[in-house]
Amino acid sequence: MLSVDLVWGTALLYVALLFLVAYYATVRQREGRSITRGAGIYSLSIAVYATSWTFYGGVGKAATTGLDFLPIYLGPTLTAFSWWFLLRKMVRISKENNITSIADFISSRYGRSQWLGGLITLITVIGIMPYIALQLRAVSTSFTIITGYRDFHVGLMDQILLPLPHPGLYSALLLGVFAMLFGARHLISAERHEGLLAAIAVESVVKLAALITVGFFVTYGIFDGVGDIFTRLQQKDPLLLHRLTTLGSDGTNYGTMFTMLTLSMCAIMLLPRQFQVMVLENADENHVNSASWQFPAYLFAINFFVMPIALGGLLYTGKSAGSDYFVLTIPLEAGHPWLALVAFLGGLSASAGMVMVESVAVATMVLNHVVTPIVIRFKPRSFFPALLINLKRGGIFMVVLLGYFYQSTVGESFMLANMGLISFSAASLFAPALLGGLYWPRGNKIGAITGLTLGFAVWFYTLLLPSLVHAGWWESEILLYGPFHLTFLKPNALFGLSGLDPLTHTLFWSMFLNLTAYLGLSIVFGQSEKEKEQVERFVRVFAPTHDQPLHFETKRLSKPVTIMQFVNLMSKFIGETPAHAAIADYLGEKEIDSQGGVSEFELPNLKRFVEKTLAASLGGAAAGAVVESYLSDLGSKMESVYDIFSTVRTSRDQSREALFVRLRASEIMNRSLELDIIMDDLLALLLREFKLDLCVIRLLNDDGVLKVRAYKGETATRITTEDRLLEIDTHVGEAFLGKRSEIVNDASFITKPTSREILDREGIKSFAHIPIASEGIPPVGILSVFSRSLVGLFTEQFVELLESLAGQLAQAVRIVAERDARERERRQKEEALLQNARVTRELELAKQIQLSLLPEAPPDVPGVRLACRCVPATHVGGDYYDFFPASSGALDLVIADVSGHSVGAALIMVETRSVLRAQVQSGKTKSPADTLALLNQFLYDDLNRAELFITMFCCHYHPETRILSYANAGHTRPILFRKGRMQELDAEGLILGIEHEVVFEEKRMTLEPGDLVFIYTDGIIEAEEKSGELFGIPRLSALLSGMVDREPQEIVDRVLSEVNAFSGGPLQDDVSMIVMKVAKSG
Amino acid sequence: MIRRQLREHIKRQLRLKDTWVILFVLGFIMMNYPFLSIFNKPVLVLDIPLLYLYLTLGWVISITIAYLFARSIAHRSDDEDRH
Repeated sequence: MLSVDLVWGTALLYVALLFLVAYYATVRQREGRSITRGAGIYSLSIAVYATSWTFYGGVGKAATTGLDFLPIYLGPTLTAFSWWFLLRKMVRISKENNITSIADFISSRYGRSQWLGGLITLITVIGIMPYIALQLRAVSTSFTIITGYRDFHVGLMDQILLPLPHPGLYSALLLGVFAMLFGARHLISAERHEGLLAAIAVESVVKLAALITVGFFVTYGIFDGVGDIFTRLQQKDPLLLHRLTTLGSDGTNYGTMFTMLTLSMCAIMLLPRQFQVMVLENADENHVNSASWQFPAYLFAINFFVMPIALGGLLYTGKSAGSDYFVLTIPLEAGHPWLALVAFLGGLSASAGMVMVESVAVATMVLNHVVTPIVIRFKPRSFFPALLINLKRGGIFMVVLLGYFYQSTVGESFMLANMGLISFSAASLFAPALLGGLYWPRGNKIGAITGLTLGFAVWFYTLLLPSLVHAGWWESEILLYGPFHLTFLKPNALFGLSGLDPLTHTLFWSMFLNLTAYLGLSIVFGQSEKEKEQVERFVRVFAPTHDQPLHFETKRLSKPVTIMQFVNLMSKFIGETPAHAAIADYLGEKEIDSQGGVSEFELPNLKRFVEKTLAASLGGAAAGAVVESYLSDLGSKMESVYDIFSTVRTSRDQSREALFVRLRASEIMNRSLELDIIMDDLLALLLREFKLDLCVIRLLNDDGVLKVRAYKGETATRITTEDRLLEIDTHVGEAFLGKRSEIVNDASFITKPTSREILDREGIKSFAHIPIASEGIPPVGILSVFSRSLVGLFTEQFVELLESLAGQLAQAVRIVAERDARERERRQKEEALLQNARVTRELELAKQIQLSLLPEAPPDVPGVRLACRCVPATHVGGDYYDFFPASSGALDLVIADVSGHSVGAALIMVETRSVLRAQVQSGKTKSPADTLALLNQFLYDDLNRAELFITMFCCHYHPETRILSYANAGHTRPILFRKGRMQELDAEGLILGIEHEVVFEEKRMTLEPGDLVFIYTDGIIEAEEKSGELFGIPRLSALLSGMVDREPQEIVDRVLSEVNAFSGGPLQDDVSMIVMKVAKSG
Repeated sequence: MIRRQLREHIKRQLRLKDTWVILFVLGFIMMNYPFLSIFNKPVLVLDIPLLYLYLTLGWVISITIAYLFARSIAHRSDDEDRH
């Protein structure tokens, strides 16, 4: 026996240490430097599985029924093999959905069913919570064993006569306070409880160390190793050893082994406290990986000395009575009270850890699935956050107290001792719904609820009820004869199934009915919309996002809700600051529209986010209900979008229908180049494939007006006839200017007055305006689609399809526009060419006329031989020469060059000719100088106006006298060859058209027979070689001097060919020349 | 060389989820009838009861395999990090 004060003091110090550890961990968490994020801590926290039932009861079981104790730990070891995929999946789902408990987890999977959550909570409270009682009992019993007092007790108590109501009250209160402080710091249950976790980890270390210390002491202190214990028992009582270390020869023990394995495998995953530490308190998915060997290793270590202690205890004490507390009694009897104290602390740790975690887990379930559903029926108030957190704290405390009352009522009975396995059995009821929910997409709510209800009923009837009867709560012959003497309903042999141990019997029936109902009803009945949505998040949580088809929203809110409204809602349950923080986090990278809301397609996501955030505090089911009722208060609700496509989806991101429409649209675009045909066909396609009433295409015209170019469907004059200006007043204008699709799924919520009026009149329910634009190019128009019957027609997927069609149309419009532009250009060019040809022809005509104006051949003048030639450089030229033979035999000769060789020059030349001819015809013989002066006067105005000039050489030759009189108006000086010498005929005179009055010098000379006069225009001497060298006078005179004796015509031809050859191409200037040769006399 | 290849091969197999499902099922079978009946004999081996020894050794082996598994997965994430 130890002094009660010592034990009390040590225990209190130990608890104080735990408080400190928990507090430190909490502080570190707040600072963001968590100490409980390691994989080791995670594994140690899972070791909360090893309760005082392991610590004390394991030894007891080993000492009474033998190897039976092992499967309880072998099962979890096996299960650990599945953690990498099973537990990791559960962790992922919980993190993504802010799951708060196993009830929340399962009920969330089945459409956030409040009933299912409630049912699981009920099973937990009835089936698993009493396990807390066992722990409290272990604490008080162990205290009694080492101190002799029935509860925590100090000397002081005797003096103040503190009432001692029942054993374990103080320990219960202490643990309740602890759990309350560290298990409900915030309302958010989905958050990790690091303080609690740190304490659990310390406790796990202490209980392991304590049991190993005691085991080491027994095995090596009292005995001589493990083998020694077995051989001693073999010698002392071989039958007992064989009973304890084999499974016996009859088959039932194998069945029990199987049952225990199965139950423990389920328990490790499904007990609420295990779910709490393994799933909710997980900090990193990769820790699952380490825990899958660390936790089994822990179990192995803590159980290693169980058999030696049990058998050692049997040998040492000589009896199996009180074997449950061998861990305490052996050290005490061996005279090592300090060791007993260590063992006591180990047992205390084992109990305390379990009680703390379990109370938090159960309280969360009760709060979220029983209390909250009631609370949220009332109108949300500002004090709700405070109310809820205090309800949770109270709940934790209540759970511990209930456990205390349970154990003090039931007392030392068969019931309590078996509570461990009974609760394992209750936990296994969750297995079908949970595993099916994780891997079987068809599992539904009806199946889950019915299966659980049936399983629970069987469990209650075949396992709990007999225990209660055994415990003497209820005197009944039901166990012997069945209810109302219906023997086939006997609880321990249901439907006549006998020969199984009670646990196996219960497991068989409960699992059979549970599974049958779950599978059967899931197959018979379908899933609701809500369930289907949840299935995706559970079953396919690991589906890699890049494989996943683009998720298209299938829900919409019938009336848009603003962000502020959602924030207000959240504030009412989780407080204002957390609500704002959450929404800020969410909105971080989202696009917010002009009205401060998110896009319509984003709204369902926002709603889900709000649900998720609330779920972290209220549980999924209640959160869903809260958001839904709030929305319905606002007149909005979540509804399915109109399923414009069938649900069949190809492996790609779109439905077969969408693909079909795209394909058809491409066909339409390719089939024709006529924009009107394309638009008509496209609209017809849209109208035919979707439930639209009207489709309109407006294209931007050159005046910047969106003009209706095509429409299909029932007419609506205001829509199909009116063009729209690019103004933000209309949705069309806004879509065009904003380059963004304007979608209005419910026309009753639109705010633009003009649009409102039009749509009201035409009875439009929903519509969308899609800019006709392709990537990076400004829109060219708007594709508008209207529905008169359906609200919420435009899903993200549908709009995407419409946008892609509009994009294709934009391409078509662009192609057509480009083609038109090209066509126009080509036509213009053609026109120009034609025009050119016409002009050329005209000019050709003019050339002919002009040439015909020149004398065809020089006149016959006695005594001289003449030759002449004119070659215009272009069609028409400005060169002119003429001969005027007089009746007297004299000859007047003129050569002129109008500057330039344009049409204007030609005209002037013609005018010059007319004037000259008129002069000559007037009969008045004039000297060349007078002629030039007169011409100058006549032509001055015209020349001046046309900005042209004329150079002219005019001469008069009398064959009889051979006198040549001449005058020159700036013309190239003719060349005279006489007897091999060359002479230029020079006379002063200004070019015609410079001055009005000009006096020309007239010169006379007598030609001699054989003289050659070469009169020409400057086209000859200015003929240019490629190198830029001019033909020049020297070259000309050299050429001529060699041909003086030739015939004039020959000379003309030769000169022309030389000039042509010299210039090597077409002439740059008109070339004209006259050769006059004075006949040699005689 | 052959040993290294073998080790790599085993490591690779350990990464498969299927391997673990198979081991899980195998473990479950080996802890049940009729497997247990092989060892369910009142014999002491090395001073230790046969069935107790079998279960204990089986347990140790399971833990070892789980440890190797965990390590191979840790290696894999290392590899993934590297790539």
